[in-house]
Amino acid sequence: MDNTAAAQRPEAGDHASPASGPWPITLDDVTVRYPNGVVAMKNVSLEIAAGEMVAVVGLSGSGKSTMIRTINGLVKPSSGTVTVGPHDITRLKGAALRHARGDIGMIFQSFNLADRTSVYRNAMVGRFSHTPTWRTLLGIHTAQDRDIVMRALDSVGMLEKVWGRAGALSGGQKQRVAIARALAQQPAVMLADEPVASLDPPTAHSVMADLADINADRGLTVLVNLHLMDLARQYTTRMIGLRAGEVVYDGPAGSATDADFEQIYGRPVQSRDRLGEQ
Amino acid sequence: MTATATQPTQPTPASALTIPPRPRRLATRAAGLVVSLVIVLAFWDIDIEWDKVAQLPTDLVHYGALMFSDPDWSMLGEAALQTWRSVSMAWIGAILGVVLSTLLGIPAAQGVGPVWVRLPLRWIFAVIRAMPEVLIAIIILTVTGLTPFTGALALAIGGIGTHAKWTYETIEAVPPGTAEAVRASGGSLTEVIRWGLWPVAAPELMSLALYRFEINVRTSAILGLIGVGGIGAMLTNYTQFRQWDTVGVLIIVVIVVTMIIDAISGAIRRRIMEGAKVRGVERIH
Repeated sequence: MDNTAAAQRPEAGDHASPASGPWPITLDDVTVRYPNGVVAMKNVSLEIAAGEMVAVVGLSGSGKSTMIRTINGLVKPSSGTVTVGPHDITRLKGAALRHARGDIGMIFQSFNLADRTSVYRNAMVGRFSHTPTWRTLLGIHTAQDRDIVMRALDSVGMLEKVWGRAGALSGGQKQRVAIARALAQQPAVMLADEPVASLDPPTAHSVMADLADINADRGLTVLVNLHLMDLARQYTTRMIGLRAGEVVYDGPAGSATDADFEQIYGRPVQSRDRLGEQ
Repeated sequence: MTATATQPTQPTPASALTIPPRPRRLATRAAGLVVSLVIVLAFWDIDIEWDKVAQLPTDLVHYGALMFSDPDWSMLGEAALQTWRSVSMAWIGAILGVVLSTLLGIPAAQGVGPVWVRLPLRWIFAVIRAMPEVLIAIIILTVTGLTPFTGALALAIGGIGTHAKWTYETIEAVPPGTAEAVRASGGSLTEVIRWGLWPVAAPELMSLALYRFEINVRTSAILGLIGVGGIGAMLTNYTQFRQWDTVGVLIIVVIVVTMIIDAISGAIRRRIMEGAKVRGVERIH
């Protein structure tokens, strides 16, 4: 697939319509070798169907974050191709890559909010790829953008905090604002990199439930990095196990056994691998 | 279940341990020796007259008495006016300097500007830092003359060297997360700077800008010595005419005004860095 589809998309400023998702994600023989020589992904090939909710499970250093970042184009693969819907991410550059990223929502472990600015300003970042630069620089947004942001915040229960400072929120609330920021993009695909690793168990379940709702209600393709086995079993339908940059498991999440997790982790299952059922 | 007492572990005899060799600290010792030599040479070179050093406390008391025993308060109005000129010079210098430093400092930060932009900019900042404001004022006054504006320009240009360095160091110290989120959402480099880096770095940069103003208030008095106006020029004139009672008033005014500005500026800086008290959240209906 080439970048023709992306090139045919309207320019920023006119790119106000939501992505015509959900979209599939394809990784074809992807290898990522960092400049320090570490090989984070080794010949990974995957097909994730449109509308699937998939967990990527593995220990720290297994290549989960690299995989998510490669799908978003934040990391360039050393070889292989990554396609998300009509976008060949590996071939896109500059404005075309930015437009493609606008169709891919992303949630981070440490929320990545600007703490000293308002919840509204943080969520409005999700509209950047749909807005002319002069508007974003001056902070002048259309009524339509404001409406999209308010609805996104409302959908995660954060509307009443819209004018508060992001830094004053709890971890769970920050992650919800980060989800709203991603939803404000009106994406076709949602990527989440260890979204519950910094949260307490009840909040972790709550955030995972939000992601499951996004998948069920909006039909978005959701790919979520986890290292806790029970969250993967409870909230996702398919599980991909990564170990040392290679796929060692790919199958249904609900029926994955402890033996499957031991194969992924490369060691016996420990209590820290479980969060607890809710 | 019976608890078992844990036996204390016997320490391993030192002879059985493989102790790594203690690192040699030759470089540290050599550096200490060089620094000591430089200090000795410096004292040797400036040819200190130790008998005058011994006389110094007596002289200080003598001139202190001349200045502060009966200050000429009739000069207070003029002193306040000249101090206001110095503060204005410092303020204009700070604003011009901070604006230019921000514009030049951001592209000099790693991860923002390309290397062919960063390196020349950093080299220019280093050259400016090497030049004291007095020297810059002397160069500028050949064009603009002996005016307070010369002083303001000298403060602005002189401030760029340090303030732009603070700017790019602050930008580089911003945790990458927020900028990455803007990039991941499809933001351009300009948007990453505006909404990923600036909101995080701005309080620190604002605080540094106020600190620059505090520095400029002191430096503006020194610039007055070369005749660009303000309280420094007045101080030079009255010192040359040995009118100690007026000099005393000027010194009191400089100290009081500088301390007040420091206190206000410091309070604002603390407020910026610590943030506002959390207010009630407005409810959306």
